[in-house]
Amino acid sequence: MNIETKDICKKFTRIVGDDKKEKKHKEEFFALDHVSIHADVGEILGILGPNGAGKTTLLRILGTVMSPTSGEVYLMDGDKRVKGGRVEMCRHIGYLSENTKLYHRFSVREIMHMTAEIYGMEKAAIDERINEIITMMGMEAFADNRIEALSTGQTQRANIARCLVHSPQIYIFDEPTLGLDIISSETIIDFMKSERDKGRTVLYSTHYMEEAQYLCDRINMISGGRIIADGSPAELMAQTGTDNLRDTFKAFTV
Amino acid sequence: MNRRIIAALYKKEILDILRDKKTILMMIVVPLILYPLIFVGSLALMSSVMNADKAKPYTISFGLSDSGEELGKYFKDNEKEYDYSFIIKTGLTDVQDEENLNSGELDAFVHETVSENRPYYEIGYRASDNDSQTAAEMVRRLLTDYRSDKSIAAVEKEGLDPDAVLEPIDFAFKDYSSNEENVGFIMGYIIPFLLIVSILMGAMYPAIDTTAGEKERGTLETMLTLPVTGTELITAKFLAVSTIAVGAAILNLLSMSFITAYTVSTAGMVDGNRMDFNVVSFIPTFFITMLCVLVFAMFASAVCMCACIMAKSFKEAQNLTSPVMIVFMICSMAGMIPQMKLDKVTSLIPVVNISLLITDIFSFNFDFSLIAAVLFSNIAYSALTIVIMTRIFNSEDLLFAEAGHSIRIIEKRSDMKKGQTPGIGDLVLLFSVLLLIVLFVSSAAVLKLGIWGLAVEQFLLLAATVFYAWYIKADMKELFHIKKPKAVGVPGAVISWVGALLIAVVVSDILIKLFPGMNTDTGLGDLWDGKAFWIVVVNVAVMPAICEEAAFRGFMLGTLEKKMRPMAAVIITGIIFGAFHMSIMQLILVGALGILNSYVTQKTGCIFLSVIMHFLNNFSSVAVSIYPEKAKGLLPFLVEESLDIKTMVVLVIVGSVLLAAGILLVNKSSRKA
Repeated sequence: MNIETKDICKKFTRIVGDDKKEKKHKEEFFALDHVSIHADVGEILGILGPNGAGKTTLLRILGTVMSPTSGEVYLMDGDKRVKGGRVEMCRHIGYLSENTKLYHRFSVREIMHMTAEIYGMEKAAIDERINEIITMMGMEAFADNRIEALSTGQTQRANIARCLVHSPQIYIFDEPTLGLDIISSETIIDFMKSERDKGRTVLYSTHYMEEAQYLCDRINMISGGRIIADGSPAELMAQTGTDNLRDTFKAFTV
Repeated sequence: MNRRIIAALYKKEILDILRDKKTILMMIVVPLILYPLIFVGSLALMSSVMNADKAKPYTISFGLSDSGEELGKYFKDNEKEYDYSFIIKTGLTDVQDEENLNSGELDAFVHETVSENRPYYEIGYRASDNDSQTAAEMVRRLLTDYRSDKSIAAVEKEGLDPDAVLEPIDFAFKDYSSNEENVGFIMGYIIPFLLIVSILMGAMYPAIDTTAGEKERGTLETMLTLPVTGTELITAKFLAVSTIAVGAAILNLLSMSFITAYTVSTAGMVDGNRMDFNVVSFIPTFFITMLCVLVFAMFASAVCMCACIMAKSFKEAQNLTSPVMIVFMICSMAGMIPQMKLDKVTSLIPVVNISLLITDIFSFNFDFSLIAAVLFSNIAYSALTIVIMTRIFNSEDLLFAEAGHSIRIIEKRSDMKKGQTPGIGDLVLLFSVLLLIVLFVSSAAVLKLGIWGLAVEQFLLLAATVFYAWYIKADMKELFHIKKPKAVGVPGAVISWVGALLIAVVVSDILIKLFPGMNTDTGLGDLWDGKAFWIVVVNVAVMPAICEEAAFRGFMLGTLEKKMRPMAAVIITGIIFGAFHMSIMQLILVGALGILNSYVTQKTGCIFLSVIMHFLNNFSSVAVSIYPEKAKGLLPFLVEESLDIKTMVVLVIVGSVLLAAGILLVNKSSRKA
């Protein structure tokens, strides 16, 4: 399944001024300004950009937790557009961000169970699926511990486990490896690769350029709410005449 | 709304709340341990203080009074009778006494002066000192006794009978209220306050935790990735918070009952005999109180959540709920104000109504219509609050706090889609307003304008309904079923109405025979006495036919038929229409007419047919009551006091045939055909 956006804009109001030089007032601004992107089956699409560029807003809109001010977001199943609104769309999406925290008074297993119930999965299938995920993510040791007792790496794995329950076709991960040690982030990177190889669509944002260079099939650079570059890491490096993504990023954004 | 999703969310919310130690503390420890401890403890403390009072001697000075010696002796002689003891001082100057009183060495003093040949005593004490106050009170009692002893002696000296002269009459009080009533009376003062506060305490913490708490912990965004609508989420949260509030309230009620039982069994000894007390008489009280607890828990939860949902953090939510707490506490004391009575008006004021109702039912004062008014108004307010809450909740500005600061309670009109159908929430909101118009505005209008007040009321109903529909940009034509009637529709509607009328005549006759006390009079007759026929027709038949139909067969039916099966929408609209007329008799008859009207409108998609039926119905009753003689000549059964069986059977058969024929015609002109 592919996910596409067409000319989406997101308008926010922010308060500017400090009552000294300038009177405090509200100001509207575009966090996203006519963004059209597409992520296709079997690819990892990296969304890169400086802080405040609109990455999180874009991924939130793609992950259905926010709606665009204008424009549209939709899923394509081959040539057919998937019908239905937000509720239908999120059945195909696994969304993870810094802001999707887990209920700390519940165990990993309980959270997965609740999620599965909300997705309307059959009772018999739920336990089977949960055990499958626990094995896949290597969480046997802590699956029945409450989230509040887990380490950062364990929590992040649990969080990924949460968005796997309904076997989504599209993954949207906003900085999934942020603040993790090498082992934990490798688990997550390996997971994204294996899902891509299974023909799923992965959208992901990060600030780690080495990671993006190694992992992404295609990269969209975003700055000031607009997409400023689209291409494979090699293409983008060639465009800017740099030999690593870090310099490419600087060349595009500075 | 998906019931399975709500169930799953509800389960999660309840578990989440119960796993929080602070909630458990609030819910269980406070009512079950703290209250009894405080109560029993304070009882023990009070009795020990009172005993200490009696054991302690009070120091009283008579200064330089002439009768100081005599009075001192009188006090010492009588101290046993009062269970107190005194240390008597004499011979000190007034200045010394005052100094001693201020330094606390003296509890009170008595100084004698003579004015107009009578001894005059001034009792010096300090109101800010408890001991001094008690001492002064003892002095007052002893001086009163001393004075009365003197009077008796003086009367006896004259050779008269002191009883006959000083107390020529006797009287005594006798309490005719039962012990249950006395206990209920006292409980009725305390229980509402305690219950309301405890429900609020029970609701507040989970309300903060499930809304602002969830936002602060960042789990809300996780929830939003799931196929869950805002309404489902809010409903589940609301149910969970209400459950906890009800749980807390039940624990509180049990704890209070236990304390009361304990008090009655220990302190309830009257003159050494066990107080005769019948617990069974409190069972209905207990059940109605439970009902109140239930609906109030819903209301309190909704209000708390509504406040908390606007907060971004736990702390902010606590700040926002404090004013709620204060307002609730003040309102909950309504039951303690003697002038406040539960009536038509106060039964609609939130919190105050619950407080007054509980006070009433503890005094064994059951007025079922007021109980219903209180319960339903609470349910309505809760529904209203939930609607507002859902609107707030669906606003992204609040969900993603960093995105902005504006709170959009109700969607901006410019953001609304054109031609949308109103939701159930809109329906509840509009009809709450309509109910208020009917209850308050109309009686005021009738008082001022007489019969024209009815037209004003009807106009307001219409205006509110149309304004609401316009404001949310509803598709007017579709919502109000505005369509040209098909040719067969009109006779179909008229014939079915005639049939229904004939059956209604019989039903109302049977109802009057079964329940002789039932009032069939709408009370409108007085209004139109001596008014011109056309004025009555305009006010009683034309206006309601247009305005009530627009509200019910238009807005309500138009909304409901989009949300449920058509027949369910028809029946619900009919029943609510009946209930709007606010009497049992009207509920049955008007409700049935409402169902018929709704059916016709639903089938044909044309409101004008039911407007005609409504007009005919009201017109016929106006005509019959203004021209009874003519009506009697034409259709005698309409005016007769009581029908015989034969007439009844004939009327029912003819009525059924006409009704069936009419409905057939209506079906023929249905929108599908």
